[in-house]
This record gives sequence, C-alpha cells and structure tokens, in this order.
Amino acid sequence: MSDYKLLNTRAPRVDAVDKATGRAVYTDDLKRSGMLYAALLHSPLAHARILNIDTSRAQKLPGVKAVVTHHEAGIEPYGVSPARYDETIFCHDRVRYVGDEIAAVAAVDLDTALQAVSLIKVDFEELPLVLDGLTAMDEGQPQLHEMYEKNICAEVNWHFGDIEQGRKEADLIRTDRLTSKMQDAAFLEPQSVLAEVDSHGNLTMWSSTQAPHYVQRTLAMALKIPLHKVRVIKPAVGGGFGPKASCSTGELATCLLAMKTGKPVKLTFDREQVFLHSRARHQFFHTMTTGIKKDGTLSFLEHQCILDGGAYASFGIATVYYAGSLLGGPYRLKNMKYDGRRVVTNKPACGAQRGHGAVIARALFEVQLDRLAEELGMDPIELRLRNVMEAGETTCNELFVSSFGMREALEAVRDSATWRQKRSQAGRIRRNGKGIGAACGFFVSGAGYPIYRSQTYHCTVITKVDDVGGGVTVMSGAADIGQGSDTVLAMITAEELGLSLDDVKITSGDTALSVDLGAYSSRTTLMTGHACREAAQDVKRQILAAVGGRLGVPPETLDLRDGLVVSLAGDIDFSALREEYLKEHKGFRDLPSGPQLTFREASRIAFLELGSIVGTGKYKPPKLGGSFKGATVGTSPAFGCSAQIAEVNIDLETGEVTVDRITGAHDCGFAINMTQVEGQMQGSMMMGMGEALMEQVQYDQKGRIVNANLAEYKIPTSLDMPHLEAIVVESNEPHGPYGAKEVGEGAIMPVIPSILNAIYDATGVRIEELPITPERIIAALHAAKNALLDSK
Amino acid sequence: MILPQFDVLVPETVNEACAMLAEHAEHGVRVLAGGTDLLVNLRRPIITQHVPRCDGCRTHPEGAVSSTIDCTMWESEPLMASGGSLRTLLRDQEKTSPEFLVSLHKLKELKNIRRSDDGGLRIGALTTLAEIQRSPEIRQDYTALAEGTDNLGSPLVRNRGTLGGNIVNARPAADAAVPTIGLGAMLTLHGKSGTRSVPAEGFPTAPGKTIIEPDELLTEIVYPLSPTYSGSAYYKLANRKALEISTVGVAVWVILEKPGGPVADVRVALGAVGPTPILAKSVPAVLIGKVPDKAAIAEAAEAAAGDCRPIDDHRGSAWYRVQMVEVLTGRLLKIAVERAGTTT
Repeated sequence: MSDYKLLNTRAPRVDAVDKATGRAVYTDDLKRSGMLYAALLHSPLAHARILNIDTSRAQKLPGVKAVVTHHEAGIEPYGVSPARYDETIFCHDRVRYVGDEIAAVAAVDLDTALQAVSLIKVDFEELPLVLDGLTAMDEGQPQLHEMYEKNICAEVNWHFGDIEQGRKEADLIRTDRLTSKMQDAAFLEPQSVLAEVDSHGNLTMWSSTQAPHYVQRTLAMALKIPLHKVRVIKPAVGGGFGPKASCSTGELATCLLAMKTGKPVKLTFDREQVFLHSRARHQFFHTMTTGIKKDGTLSFLEHQCILDGGAYASFGIATVYYAGSLLGGPYRLKNMKYDGRRVVTNKPACGAQRGHGAVIARALFEVQLDRLAEELGMDPIELRLRNVMEAGETTCNELFVSSFGMREALEAVRDSATWRQKRSQAGRIRRNGKGIGAACGFFVSGAGYPIYRSQTYHCTVITKVDDVGGGVTVMSGAADIGQGSDTVLAMITAEELGLSLDDVKITSGDTALSVDLGAYSSRTTLMTGHACREAAQDVKRQILAAVGGRLGVPPETLDLRDGLVVSLAGDIDFSALREEYLKEHKGFRDLPSGPQLTFREASRIAFLELGSIVGTGKYKPPKLGGSFKGATVGTSPAFGCSAQIAEVNIDLETGEVTVDRITGAHDCGFAINMTQVEGQMQGSMMMGMGEALMEQVQYDQKGRIVNANLAEYKIPTSLDMPHLEAIVVESNEPHGPYGAKEVGEGAIMPVIPSILNAIYDATGVRIEELPITPERIIAALHAAKNALLDSK
Repeated sequence: MILPQFDVLVPETVNEACAMLAEHAEHGVRVLAGGTDLLVNLRRPIITQHVPRCDGCRTHPEGAVSSTIDCTMWESEPLMASGGSLRTLLRDQEKTSPEFLVSLHKLKELKNIRRSDDGGLRIGALTTLAEIQRSPEIRQDYTALAEGTDNLGSPLVRNRGTLGGNIVNARPAADAAVPTIGLGAMLTLHGKSGTRSVPAEGFPTAPGKTIIEPDELLTEIVYPLSPTYSGSAYYKLANRKALEISTVGVAVWVILEKPGGPVADVRVALGAVGPTPILAKSVPAVLIGKVPDKAAIAEAAEAAAGDCRPIDDHRGSAWYRVQMVEVLTGRLLKIAVERAGTTT
C-alpha cells in the first residue's frame, strides 16, 4: 500500500455523475442565440477534376446566409505535418476521395442548409482511380498529388545494428506477412463544432477535439487570423482514439461560415461523415523476416511495410515511422532494418488511431515469434521471456526504457491464465477448436516531440486558490476525451494539497487557459501530470509560507493533509488566525471549530497576505532519442509494455470465433487511478478484438464506402465480449509523476496477435489477412486440407 | 439525419387502413408498423443524395440499425433505396420519400397470438418480435420462429419491430421470414375487395418486393398445426452475436411418423442465399420416407446446398455461403429430429 490518500485508489471519476445523468454538456448540446446550421457538400466521386462550381441556386434559397467554396476559403495548403501540407479547406481543382469537401452552407436551420447543399451544381471530369495501396506506386498509375511522386507520401529507410551479421548468427529464419484493413475508430460522439466571432474579431470554437492547441494553430494558419484571436474550447467529448487529434474541414468550414455571417454556426457530423472524414487507422501490408538462434535469442528483424493512407497525409508521416520504430522493444533486438512507404490512394485520409502505426506491425512480429518458437520446439512465452528487455536498457533504435515491467507482466498473465496447464504440451498445437495464445506489446508514454518543430512546453498548468479560501481551481489545456484526464489532474492536485476531490475544480480543454498538446500518444498522465503536480506544489509552498509567516514558524514544519494545516514540530497556537477568519464570517454556518487550522482558513489568510495565489507548472521532455533521420518519432520519456493471453473457441465447420477469455497485464508505472487504468485496458481489449475479428471499412469499385454506419461496420457488442481480466503492473517510472506512465494505447498492442496465435493453436491454420472472419478461417482450413491432400 | 416532410394517417380499422393506402397510392404512401426500418431509411442521406443514380454498384447499405434490413446486389435498386417496415407501395422508384405514412398503431386487433380452429397458430401482423421471442407456446411448437427472433437485431429493435414488417419488408436475410417459410405459414392479405391467403414462400418476389397489392395490408400469419412428432430449428450465421444481418440463415421443420422416423414431411428454408428467402425444394424428395440417420441427413444437407443461389457480397462469398448451407442444414436437421422425437 502506498502512503497516498487518493493516488493509487479507485476514486470515482469527477465527471461520472454528470455523464451518467446526462448533465454533461457535449458540443452538439450547445446553443447560441441566432445560431445558424452548417452543411457540407462532399464529393460523390473518388477522383475527378472540378470544372465548375455553381452555387447560385443555393445562394438564392430563402434561409441561406452564406455559401462558401475555395473562392472564399483560399487555396493555401495546410495539414498536420509541416513537411506535408497537402490539404486545402475546400477542393478547388480536384477531388481525391468520395467525401472530399467542396463547399459549405450556413442557413437558418439544418433542413435548409442540406437543401442548399443539394442545389450546388458541380461539373466534374472523372479521373482514373487509385484504390489499391499495393499497386499505387506502380508505373502508369494516376498521380494524386504533384508533390507525391509515384504516390509515395512518405518513405522511411532505417538500418540499426547490422542485419547481415544478424543473418549469419541466426539458426532459424522465417518470413511472414500480414495485411489489415482501414479502420474506423467508432467513437460514440460524431464530430461537432460550434463557432462564433465576437465584435473584436475574436474567434471562439467549441469542438469535439482531442487536441485544442493543434486545432487552434491550424485554424489561425488556414483562416489567416492571428493565433491569439483564436480560442478553442473542448466541451465533454465522447471518445476520440486518434481521428479527433487533427483539425477537420468541418472545423475550418464552420469557423469560416461564422466569420462570413457574423453569427454562431454549428455543424455536427452524421455518422456517414465520420466514416468519410476518417483520419483513422491506415491499411498496413507488412512483411517481416526474423532470425533467431537455437537458444531462442533474437538475432535480427528485417521489415517492410506499405501503408495505404488514403487521399492526404494527415498524421500519416508519424504513422509510417511508428510502424517501424516501436518494434525496437520490448525484446532485445540488436539488428533491425525497416523500409516503410506510405502511399496515397483515392480513399478517405487515414491518420492516427489508438496504438498509432504500431498495432499491425506488433501483430505480425508476435505471430513470427510464435511460429519461430514452434519450429524451435520452445514454449512461446518462454521464448519471449528469454528476450525481454529490463529497465535501464536502450533499444537498437535508441529508445531508453527507464522502467520496464515486461517480464513481470508476461509472468503474471502466464500464471493467471494457467497457461502451462492449458497449453498442455509445449509447442503442441491442439487443433480441436479450442486455443490459447500469448503476445506482448510496447508503446510510448507521450510523443517526445510536438508535431510542429518547436521548443514549446508540451503543457502548462495554472492552479489558482479561491480568493475566498477553501478550494482551488486547476486550469489546463489538457483534453479529457473520456479517458479520464480531468480525474487524474484532480487527484494529483487534491493529493498534493491534502484536499478532497470535491474541493478541486477542474477547468480544462481550453486554449485560453494554457498550452497543452492534447490527448494523443498516451501523454497526458505523464506530461500534464508533471505540470499539475508542480502547480499544486507551487500553491502549497505559497500558502504555507504565508501561514508560517503569520504563525512565526518555518513553513517547512507545516504540511497540508486531510483539509488541515498540520504542524510537524508540535502544537502551534493558531488562535489569532482562526479569530480573524471567524470575524470575517459572522453569521455564516459550518465554520471551522476543530483543534487544527483548516485549509479553508489557511488559504484565506494566505490571500489576505499575498493577494491571489496562483501556482504554475510546466513540462517538456528532456532531450531524447537518436540523431538519425526520423528519430523524433518513437522516442518518449518513458515506455509502457503489456502482455496478454487470449483463449478462443472456434467452430471448425462454420469458422465462428468465440473469444472465451482475455487476460492482460500492463505496466503503467504507477496507477494514479486503478479503476481508470483497468478501464483503459478493458477498452483496449475490446477495440483490439474488434479489429482482429470484425472491423473493416469496405469500399466498392468506385471508392465509395459500403458500410459507413455502425450497423454494417461491426464492432463487438456486449454479447461478444468475453471475461476480461486486467492485471496492473507497477514498475515505478522515474520520469513519470509518482512513477506513472501510459496505459491508454499500449494495452491494445498485444490484443490482435494474442487472438491470432490462439486461433492458430485452435485450428492449426494461420490467417494472414485481418479481420479474421469465419469465412477466412474456413478458407484457410480448406487450403490446409488441400495442401495436405496434394502432398500425399 | 433528418426526416423528410410527410403526413401521418392513423386508421382505426383495417378497412380504413386499406382505403387510405388505396387513396394515396399515387402520391407515395408507406405503412408504418414498428418503424425500425422505415424511419431509419427515411432519414435523408447526406452524401449519397448527390451520387448519380448508380449503374455498376448496387451494394450501398441502407444505413439502418436493424437486421431486418438487407442490402443486396440481386437487382438494380437505386442507391440508398428506402426499405419500408411493412411494405412499400412506392412503384415509382424515383421517388424515395413518401407523402403519407399510414401508422397502424391503433389496430390492436393485429397484435395477438392465438390458436386457430385446426390447432395451428395465428399471429397478428403487428405482434412484435419480442412478443414472439417471449411466447412459451411459440418456443414449444414453432421453435424455429422463436429462434429466428432470438438474435434478430437487438432488444430495442425486437421491442419495436413486428413480424409482419419483417415479412413484408422482403429482405433476403429476414430472420423471422425464413422460419415462417420453413414452417409452411400462410399469409392473410386484406384489401379493399376482401381477403386472400397466400403461402409465405411465394410472397416475396425480389429484394424489397412482394406480391402485395397497393391497397393490401398483411394482417395475419397463419402457421399450420405442429404435429406430435415434429420439431423445428433456426440458425443465424453472422460475424457477431447481435445487431447483425445474417450471412446465412437456415430454418428446418421435420415431421416424423413416429419417434426415430421415418420422415413424414420436411421443409428447409434458406435466408441470404438468394434474392428472397427460399425454400430448399429438393430436400423433401431426399428425406421423406427415410429414417433420418446421419447419412440421410448428410444427403439432405447437400441437396439444400444445391438449391441455393447465393452471390458474393460484403458479408460473405457465394463459396462460403453454399458450404454453410450444407453445414447448418445438417446440424439443424439433427436438432429438429431430436426435438421431433422428444415432443409428446
């Protein structure tokens, strides 16, 4: 047990009651006087030249207040990565996917806005399509962007250690492949935006976003207004998982309409628009060759990947780097070569999604380890245990792991799932429909560098004591998107100041409050947690100095605990302070009366001495990573790791998969809130299971999504979910606040491969294409049967 | 996103409903029963309204949260074609939103489950799928129908969706329609000039299309007597355990002369392997008169697979579907025979 009062407990989330009762305010709940409604015109074609846009009929429709196209928005490019600004607010010369935005309308109601959109006439000249990521680079393929020769948007060529040496050392080498499908993040709340401009030209935008700061920057740049005139506020958000980490056309168009009309304008995406906007998981085509020695020691990994990124770059530059860099751990691997290419195709743009870039790479590598273990006749968990890194080691691509509970996590799932009994005989595949499989994972705890090149602090926090005394308000730009960061900030503040959670008010997700890079790359607990702790300690120091001064005792002999000022140097006479406080509050009820000075009194007395008491905190990582090109992606102040065992039951005649049980262990360094850590793990298991077994955005031959809704894009229902066991491992991360590091994304890493390995154990066949549908299992079983017949 | 403009008409009687349907047939009128398909499909699509009427692709799904909806490639339907809960009277395919909805919610007489004179079962068309799922009588004597509702959509869909809607909607994968055909039910159609009774298997003609006339309403589904030594079963094959449109659905009904056989009669109905739910016509010839042993069942299952005409679509390939018809027909025949043998 820790000495903390609140940290490491299961304190209820600060937003739990509001969300459970419907009181929480989401962007679409907001209404402003005189508010207009926006609608977007999306391209019906995946690739076409725009010959003419005629908005005249839309302009004339009664109730329409503004129609905007590239004429109003301009054609200056913007994007996520400064090196790949390849989008304009509206298409002007070409459309590149079904859904590409051409125009926007603001009208008095949504019906009118939608009608007006249907009156906009666009003349297109259809262009040939590029829909297949594997052939997008071929000679003669149509080019999507002048800046991307052969449709290659980004390319990475890394070589760490010496692959040839690794080949020489290896006793066993094998090559395997795995292909995935584009995903949708399937968050509950579709993107929603409300924008308004005040009489001084200040633009305020409320938006369902993960990264208010980045969005603020993009709005200012793309709309050509000074940064300080743009404010982004994030109300309650119903999930993000990555796609809400970048500025959307919906946000830009809505702001533009607010600027044109002078009225508040709201836009809420339909679910179909969520799919079309996408910016979710890429499609990956991985090929890996791994070498291993007889004793199970890894000798090298040679890895090629093609990423189908859809029409624009979005976060995809980081994605192609992450797909390679995060295989540096959690195993000792001296030699690694990676060649990754991200191509553009006429499909919605892909970006970041939980486990950014690394999920499918991890899946294939963990499958390879299983296959190598089988060939060596070694238990796959034993093989992993022989290779896991320990704290203090550095990967071949210069990632330093300062804490690392990998071994502990792997042993925990092995024992909890009774692996040895269930696996019965090491390496023996049962093939009777019941199977068990294991895998590990490795992930950053916050990206080491911002997406734009800068020495900026990654976050700042301001904590202000109530001038009237009694409580504090924490002000932060951090984005609670449902993952619970507000609760973490409240717990840290309350812990430091000896307060109850009810006396800490959190205001967050607002660029007017502070800079915070946002909720992505599993960074908030570590980074904003540091800043929050620093701000609380700053406040504490000021209060104790003021109170110590009045009492004539050294501040270091005082502490704040349980809502009280505690003297560490014996009793002190604080009667003068209490008398002063009581005199101020004549007629009030519930006044302090106990034998100790309360925080309420102390904080008021301190105000009387000092005026407003404000504490500040800030964080940016120390200099990290190597000096090679692309070293900034994948580096982090700390790394999380995880292990998982999946147990499945396969109907060998129909291919139906039932996941019976998932046992996962994750090293989060230190659980600020135990329930939230488990929640992230369980959420990851569900999301990974969906990706393994059912999720895929499907396109027709014209590049249209055929399942752009949550009826046909399948995610697991509650009936599909098995028993989940979440084991929390705490390795005490030296670079994290209180030893804490990530859990939000790392926990998804082992999910897909553990299921893949379990299905192999159950069936004896390997599936090389995700999702693992019943049909793919039956097809693989047939192929195996035919191969067997052929060989006889 | 948002519903189009329409007027809702509320008849007090079946005759009044039929008169309304006849009167407004020219303007576009749709029947509103449970609404689990209709209201979802009436919502105006944001994107696809701009898509020109499609030539090559006919696969756009209808954006619904009900498994009673199915999108198919069997015929050239307009993109985002409307479904219709009970049925569509829209002969003009160009017109996607009706001017009138005839809401049946006051027709309580269509919401009941009762025995018919010959010992069969009559189910009012407005009986919800949840009511069917909960009926011990149906589960006992018409097990395939009860099992058809078990995994249909979600509890919310089953609480609103009706048996009649699932049948008139005429989707190839309709989970209640397939066992209805398998159990040899007759449909009662009520029109201005009287009523007629038609076999369930002849009712749908194409995805979303049936033999119903513009002034007709499906009022009742009549299941024949469940003989002493009979048993039925349904299985929905899909990728997840709820909120699914079947990849394949199979319903079987077996009547034995005595426990253990031989088979007196058998019906196998198949969903999602043709433009409509279909009856596997060659199964009876294979099985009737035989003791339903392993070999006979295997032969019957193979025959059923030969009867289906599935296509490739985004839910599964024809190759897989044919095999699954064989696997599932075999399994369900075995289960139905067991049930037939133990029924007293």
